[in-house]
Amino acid sequence: MMNRRRFLNYAAVAGAIGAAPRLNPDFLFSPAMAQGTKPIVFLSAENITGNWDCTAHTTLSQSTIQGFVMGYLARAPMTPENPGELVMELATEITELSATQLQIKLREGVTFHDGKPFTAEDVKATFEYGSQPDRPAQNYPGATDTFEVTTPDDYTVIVDTSKGGYGASLFIFLAAYLPIMSAKDIAEGPGGILTQRLNGTGPFKFVEQRGNDTVMEAFPGYFKGAPTVPGVTFSFVGDATTRMLSLMGGQADIIERLEPEQVETLQGEANIKLNTAVSVENKYLWFRCSKPPFDNPLIRKAACHAIDRELIMEVMGTAGHASNNFVSPIKFGYVDLENYPKYDPEECQRLLAEAGFPGGEGLPELEYITSTGFYPKTKEYGEVITAMLQEQGFPVTLSVMEVAAWNERLYDRPGGGPGHMVDCGWSTGSPEPDLVLRTHFHSSSKRICGIEDPEIDAALDEERNATSLDARQTSLQTNLMPLLADKVPALSLFTSVMIHGMRADLDGLFIYPDGLTDASMATMG
Amino acid sequence: MFVLKFLIRRLFQGAIIVFLVSALIFTLLRVVPGDPVRLMAGGMAPEALIEQIAEEMGLRDPIPVQFARYMGGVVQGDLGQSFVRPANGASVGGASFDDSTRGERAKVLGLIAETAPMTIQLALLAMVFALVIAIPIGVAGGLAPGRWPDRMALYLSSIFVSLPNFWLGIVLALLLSVKLQLLPAIGYQNFSYTILPAFVLAIEMAPFIIRTLTVSVAGVMAQSFIDIARVRGLSRNRIVFHHGMKNAAVPLLNLLGVQFSMLLGGVLVVEFIFDYPGLGLLTINAVMQRDFPLIQGIAIVTAAAFVLINIVVDLAATTIDPRLDY
Amino acid sequence: MTAIDIAIPPAPGAGEARTVASRIWRMAFSSIEFRIGLVVFVLLFLAAALYPELSGIDPTKMNIRGKLMPPLFMGEGWSWAHPLGTDQLGRDMLSRTLVGLRYSLLIGVTTTVLMLAVGALIGMLSGYYGKRVDMVLMRLTDAQLAIPMIILAITILGVSRPTIPAIILVLGLAGWPVYARVMRSTVMSERKKEYVRGAMVLGATDMRIMFTLLLPLVLPPMAFVAVLDIARMMIFESVLGFIGLGVQPPTPTFGNIIADGRKYIMNAWWIATMPGVFLFLTLTSINLMGASLERARNAVYGGA
Repeated sequence: MMNRRRFLNYAAVAGAIGAAPRLNPDFLFSPAMAQGTKPIVFLSAENITGNWDCTAHTTLSQSTIQGFVMGYLARAPMTPENPGELVMELATEITELSATQLQIKLREGVTFHDGKPFTAEDVKATFEYGSQPDRPAQNYPGATDTFEVTTPDDYTVIVDTSKGGYGASLFIFLAAYLPIMSAKDIAEGPGGILTQRLNGTGPFKFVEQRGNDTVMEAFPGYFKGAPTVPGVTFSFVGDATTRMLSLMGGQADIIERLEPEQVETLQGEANIKLNTAVSVENKYLWFRCSKPPFDNPLIRKAACHAIDRELIMEVMGTAGHASNNFVSPIKFGYVDLENYPKYDPEECQRLLAEAGFPGGEGLPELEYITSTGFYPKTKEYGEVITAMLQEQGFPVTLSVMEVAAWNERLYDRPGGGPGHMVDCGWSTGSPEPDLVLRTHFHSSSKRICGIEDPEIDAALDEERNATSLDARQTSLQTNLMPLLADKVPALSLFTSVMIHGMRADLDGLFIYPDGLTDASMATMG
Repeated sequence: MFVLKFLIRRLFQGAIIVFLVSALIFTLLRVVPGDPVRLMAGGMAPEALIEQIAEEMGLRDPIPVQFARYMGGVVQGDLGQSFVRPANGASVGGASFDDSTRGERAKVLGLIAETAPMTIQLALLAMVFALVIAIPIGVAGGLAPGRWPDRMALYLSSIFVSLPNFWLGIVLALLLSVKLQLLPAIGYQNFSYTILPAFVLAIEMAPFIIRTLTVSVAGVMAQSFIDIARVRGLSRNRIVFHHGMKNAAVPLLNLLGVQFSMLLGGVLVVEFIFDYPGLGLLTINAVMQRDFPLIQGIAIVTAAAFVLINIVVDLAATTIDPRLDY
Repeated sequence: MTAIDIAIPPAPGAGEARTVASRIWRMAFSSIEFRIGLVVFVLLFLAAALYPELSGIDPTKMNIRGKLMPPLFMGEGWSWAHPLGTDQLGRDMLSRTLVGLRYSLLIGVTTTVLMLAVGALIGMLSGYYGKRVDMVLMRLTDAQLAIPMIILAITILGVSRPTIPAIILVLGLAGWPVYARVMRSTVMSERKKEYVRGAMVLGATDMRIMFTLLLPLVLPPMAFVAVLDIARMMIFESVLGFIGLGVQPPTPTFGNIIADGRKYIMNAWWIATMPGVFLFLTLTSINLMGASLERARNAVYGGA
């Protein structure tokens, strides 16, 4: 039967259940634990990769875990009142010495969970390692050879981007996004200790991975003071109904990715409260641009004109926010694009005919891959999009997959990757638009759509190399973004509204617009 | 002595059967579309690398060769490694193809060993519930064939067998767990989480027990030795329970062996709905995640378990009724 | 598992076959359970066959603005146009449920017929020819029985795309051994009887003996009990659909609809419940009929 150790572990996590008056025969239930000594149980909607190296994945759930464990130079709360605000964390000061030189002054007295003191060499190692072109997480404005990092002393870092041709200011917004890893860990390389466990300067330290549970404990040496909860247990539960029932039953303390109907249900519950925020995440319909038929931009455009995004908004309800660009409205450079594809069946047919497939005749069977149990309503609007495309003559079949299976098929491969269209969201906790645009649409990176288009590359380089923020914004809004709207390697359907449900007595949490959560000052009960 | 001969013969037959099952499943998984190496390497792997990995893993060898190698491992207790779950048991996906940690995957046998006890616990409790529900109804029906207890048994068993288990599970979870808050439904924190899933399973199994019992009890009670017992003046209770039940038990025992197969189907769905961390949930997740080695391992283990249970059941039946010959 | 293995019938002589079958039928028909079952079944069958076309409501037509409407009288916003309400994309629940019933019945009946046919054939060959043919076929049967049906089904369907023929094949092939066993034992005992020997002496070919002489004799009693298997296959199909391995969307099947509806159980309970109710009613009617037939058959054989 169940072994004693496992039983005790579950009993420890389930402390509150014993205290709840509604459950009866005592001998069947675990003993009540004293209030305040219980870790927060966070149910996640996405699986992790099993490789803890921060640069080896682009999985949001794992980034969320990093949010508990790792330290960042700064954080970007991205509030509507002050969208560009940076709250200093590991850095104390970030100043532009010149257009191509950035100086970062670091906080003293911070230590990693393994005891190593945090110094400038860790920042240098993180930047140099993470920018290597073979790293799956492509977040840097250029590869390692396009910038230089020097450390005049233990608590100062200078980033010089003159070699790369772009401004050092790009590293400012990036500072809020990159978890800082230990130089000692990085020295062991991509196959070393980085993959086996997380080691950071954040409020919670990584203890172990138990099945689908990531167990984290409060780090008493956290520079802002010991966290007020003993730990966080981050569990993957791939089904939205199960997550909600767990929250209602008291087995979970906070869940993410609520659907609009669940919001309705939970609003009536007295012991549950909700946190709703327009997020930095957009949901996209990615086209596989490196294989037919979607290697032809005319066909991509035709497909976009077949889709009525307003109808999708009706499906999404409160979980979606209409937007007409490739990034979220809270990202730097957002503007409602005029030439963003609208629902226009006539234009769709015209484009199909121009491409040589009048009425969709001659098109091969198209597979549209989406997930279920992770983002809200993907299956529902997947069915709607499929029907809309089929109405225009596209022979589309919808493949709905469980999250881990979908994650396995998501990324681009040589030859194009599975399916012809994939549904996925992209969430990056910083106002920096290149974390979406460059990561996905530059030929050196093209994580999902596989596009290789020199015009797009040139436009991306132009806005990256812009000499001032204003120039950059203009380049983005008048050059790159309209170009993308014309070539549509991917169609942004809407901006996600992230809705978290949690116990009413769980206070002190701060949830960033990318879903990352600061629990260092949380209190329960 | 007889028992020994019986065991040897049946175990030998069983081994052949398990072997055949393994061969069948193994071949199926290799010939269907969807390259397992793709899944292993995943992410963004180029063709050349896929071929290389496939060669190294021996996946391009002819199927009989692969199978021989696999069975060799099985005999030593190695059922291979999961495609999807890493050594610490979580589900993965989305990492790059040259990710070195992809080599350290969870052992299939380990995953099965972890979850099987949970399912056994669920199955036993379900059996108990099923017997508690079904025996009174079935016996009452059998003792009064043609009259209202019998008709009642017919109606009840028809109703029970018509309730789709997944539907019942959802409805009961909603009513008993969420609305009335009587029993916990999702996951597993302690033993009480087994109650609701076991009850749903029991409803699924009860009708067959009821039917078997009504037929066999009626059949036994109609036989002459029962009349003779009455003439001899034995009390009704003694007749029913001592003589009647013992003989009626044999078909029931037989049925229990077959119930196991039925139970397996029910367990899959029930564990899925209640998020009960047993073998059923593992199987469903394995199928959804296209985790071939895990699916294979589970098929072999369940086939072996099924064979063993049947052997045990037949042995027990022979003990109770020496007239039977297996 | 049906009652077949428990009461293997002593097969009647040649001339009695037709009357035995009709006796079973008449006895079952006289019981009230059977009649209730029959009436309910016929009503549901007609509804499934006729309503979706007659009503003109398209079960796949989405109407997002009209989504999640409740059934008649059971909440705000119900309408006569959608007696059982609408689902999460505004599709009519009644049409969808009835189309789902169509697929369930289709797959249930076809699968059972396939099971019966394959099982009867193998059992016939096995019982008639005996010796080596028998041994091989019986070992095959045993091996088949050893594989839990569901594991086989989800393995095959889980790794390839589930299409209707594939589903029918997988379900049918997983259930034939029981029929094979019964057929085999009956044929074995019949074979020794006078009338068969007579036919052989007269020069009838094996084929002729098997199919024109023995088959009409043995099949009807088995067929009656197969009715119960229709119900079992319908459940099996919906379970597969529930875990995503049944007939694929957008085709509505009970499994699909209930699986989708599970998400909405708190706000729109009818999506998950209605198909379940229909399935339940259909299965109950089939099971009542089947159980009555089984009783009648046991009575006719046991008593006669």
